[in-house]
Amino acid sequence: MKRRLLASLIGIVLVAAVALGITVGTGNQPSLGLDLQGGASVTLQPEGNYDAVALDVAVEIIRSRVDSIGVAEPEIIRQGDTVVVNLPGVKDQQRALDIVGRTGDLQLRPVLQSGAFDTSEPSEVPASTETTIPSDTTLPDEGGPGESRGARPMVDTTVPTTDTTVAVTDTSVAATDDGPTDAEPIDATPEDGSAVDSQLPEGSEVLLGRDGFAYLVGPVAATGLVFENNASANIQGSSWSVVVQLRGGAEGENIWNALTSRCFSRDATCPTAQIAIVLDGEVISAPVVQEAIFTGGEVQITGDFTEQDARDLAKILEFGAVPVKFEVSQVQTVSPTLGSDSLRAAIISGLVGLLLVFLVMLAYYRFVAIIVFFGLAVSIGLQFSIITYLSKTNGLALSLSGIAGIIVSIGIAVDSYIVFFERLKDELTSGRTLRNSAQRSFAGAWRTVLAADTVSFLAAAVLWWLTVGSVRGFAFFLGLATLADVVIVWFFTRPAMLLLARSKFMVNRSMLGIKPPRSTEVIA
Amino acid sequence: MSIGASFGRLYRGETTVDYYGKRKPAFVVSGSFVLVSIIVLVFGGLNLGIDFKGGVAWEAPATATLDQDAVRDVLEANGIETANAKLQTLQGVEGERIRVQVGDQPDEVRVAVQAALASTAGLEAQDVSVAAVSSSWGRSITLKAIRALLVFFVLVSLYIAWRFEWKMAIAAIAAMAHDVLVSVGVYAIFRFEVTPATVVAFLTILGYSLYDTVVVFDKVRENIDRFATSKMSMGNIVNVSSNQVLARSLNTTLSSALPVISLLVVGSFIMGATNLQEFAIALLVGMLTGTYSSIFVATPLLAVLKNREPKYSSVAGVVAQGAEMAALFEHTTTRAAQKAAAESQVTRESSVLKNTSSNVLTHPPRPRKRRRR
Repeated sequence: MKRRLLASLIGIVLVAAVALGITVGTGNQPSLGLDLQGGASVTLQPEGNYDAVALDVAVEIIRSRVDSIGVAEPEIIRQGDTVVVNLPGVKDQQRALDIVGRTGDLQLRPVLQSGAFDTSEPSEVPASTETTIPSDTTLPDEGGPGESRGARPMVDTTVPTTDTTVAVTDTSVAATDDGPTDAEPIDATPEDGSAVDSQLPEGSEVLLGRDGFAYLVGPVAATGLVFENNASANIQGSSWSVVVQLRGGAEGENIWNALTSRCFSRDATCPTAQIAIVLDGEVISAPVVQEAIFTGGEVQITGDFTEQDARDLAKILEFGAVPVKFEVSQVQTVSPTLGSDSLRAAIISGLVGLLLVFLVMLAYYRFVAIIVFFGLAVSIGLQFSIITYLSKTNGLALSLSGIAGIIVSIGIAVDSYIVFFERLKDELTSGRTLRNSAQRSFAGAWRTVLAADTVSFLAAAVLWWLTVGSVRGFAFFLGLATLADVVIVWFFTRPAMLLLARSKFMVNRSMLGIKPPRSTEVIA
Repeated sequence: MSIGASFGRLYRGETTVDYYGKRKPAFVVSGSFVLVSIIVLVFGGLNLGIDFKGGVAWEAPATATLDQDAVRDVLEANGIETANAKLQTLQGVEGERIRVQVGDQPDEVRVAVQAALASTAGLEAQDVSVAAVSSSWGRSITLKAIRALLVFFVLVSLYIAWRFEWKMAIAAIAAMAHDVLVSVGVYAIFRFEVTPATVVAFLTILGYSLYDTVVVFDKVRENIDRFATSKMSMGNIVNVSSNQVLARSLNTTLSSALPVISLLVVGSFIMGATNLQEFAIALLVGMLTGTYSSIFVATPLLAVLKNREPKYSSVAGVVAQGAEMAALFEHTTTRAAQKAAAESQVTRESSVLKNTSSNVLTHPPRPRKRRRR
């Protein structure tokens, strides 16, 4: 019995010490919520019809977008159907919020003109080039019904300094598998954008491509909704391609085929035969249409892709096809100074509170309070390590409401000792020996602690399941603290008190102000 | 009786307060508190923050160029009515901050005001904190919280009914409802702003209140078992239980309240973290009522409920007082109890009660029976 108690006591202290040592040794710290370090937070709520799969995918889109912002520790949480995006420590808060809050439609737009975009030029209007592809090369099983950036001719454009009405385009044509391409100069007036705009159909705009090209695209002809959510990247021989299924009927195939037949015939609205795949205002790819009607319901996009390119494109086609619209229901930005103020206030008041509690314990229970002290220390060490570990692995961030939960849980932790000591006092007053009393009172106190902690944990669990935002953060830390309390009472307080009651130190000493009866059992 | 002596009795758990006998005044006091709370809630309502009714709040450091009037100018320049805007100056470690709240605004206005406030203050836009909440969101989180609350009520009732008994579940829930109503009532009366932090605090109060009540009820059940064979009135049982846990209740309240008081005093008054202040006030009120209700509402209510059982109805009116009550405590071999027993024998006519109590007295503490788990 004694050995078991000792093992439990040493075990828990060792576990706490090692955990704390590793945590401190590796220099890990719990990541802070944005209310403690400043940052931005957006809460998005889906609108209209959506299903769980669509939401999952939507969360993925948001995640990839957030990653592109370059925030250190973004936190994207799904709480029921609500999506919360926390961007702690983000510098340009407004830009970040814009990027996250964008609805993110995948658009398919006919390309009117495209060309290299030279960033040294002040004007963003590209010089353009037209590619023509012989129609007899469209065999899907050979080359695939499309081509993308790598296969498009490289264009080297210099804006003339003397004659601004005619762009002198020096085009070096890259050879493609699909056949000859020729580029011819087109009238462009880079310094006078309005002249160009006036000739364009309404809804046209110039968009930048991922490949560094600029595209003049026509109005939106279709959205990502024409595709099923099953785009995949495949390797064929040595080249990668992306295959995606069309949705059947009026929603998918009909719209798509209307667009492709327009482009295939190169009418005025789609002179380049290219369809720009546009996500969030960026042209991801602009393959050339090589088939008027896609009867098989399958679209294949081939080109000079790397594996990464193909996978990205597949992901975008899949994501873009998700019909979830989000409403931005909550926006919060916290300045870094306000955040650090709150953190400091919370930590200092927490420490002061802890000190006061300990003083009260010391005054009331005298030297037995040392057990409360060490118990709290072990408990804090364990909890700190767990919180740090979870924040590293699961992206748990310590928020202000979480700190409030921890401070509140001090009361719960200390109460377990009080319940125990008060019972012990009762037992001692009835004239039992210390050793006997300690055992009996622990049995009683353990029941009470379990019952009370169960209620407390029940509260935390229900709150965690059913609420959102700060209440949830609070519930998590309250629940953790409650569990820690149960663990500490069993593995620390119990052996510590029982061993103390048996120790030589206690033989003729009074505990809790109650003198032991003269006829004490002999302690072996 | 000197303070030292009564502290000693409290320390030894030998106070003999007749809580059961004072149940009527206690119920009247509690009832009127609850009634006032309900009246204020119905007619005045709560001062809901933007998180519940929707709106925008900006918080900026006050600088030489940015004071409340300057903030008003900024709002007016952006076409926002300043009459309904709520302006506060908050004290922080690094100087004052100005917080302004208005109703729902479009995104453009939110961004524009943030930029304007920053430029007026001579700071960067990110130094101005913003919180914007759509009104539909506010409604949905309120509904979520209420749903969570109902689920919690049901689960806790089931748990207490299973672990103890259903009468205890009723009494505990009633005490909890009392605590929450009184705390919410305090918020309504003083027009404190209700924020998500406040909701967290109210929910914590629920937890505390139940926790406290469960600890007391655990003792009550233990005493019910102890007096199972003797004809002991419920009033006696709850009195003994309440007195036995009094020291624990006070201690726990003190040690729970100290961190919260520290949060309130050190955190919000000295260091100016006002978002902690709202939380701490609600908690403090809730903790005090929680301790009060577990002893003055939950336990007497339980006794009233239990008195309807045939076992207790015959002795419902019998309640021991003073030294006689002390004699009923567990550690009956102490001199206090022996003295009390002797006294009661001398001074009182024999009664049903005295017989039962002396039955208990004449035996040394018998080993407790194994209780059902």
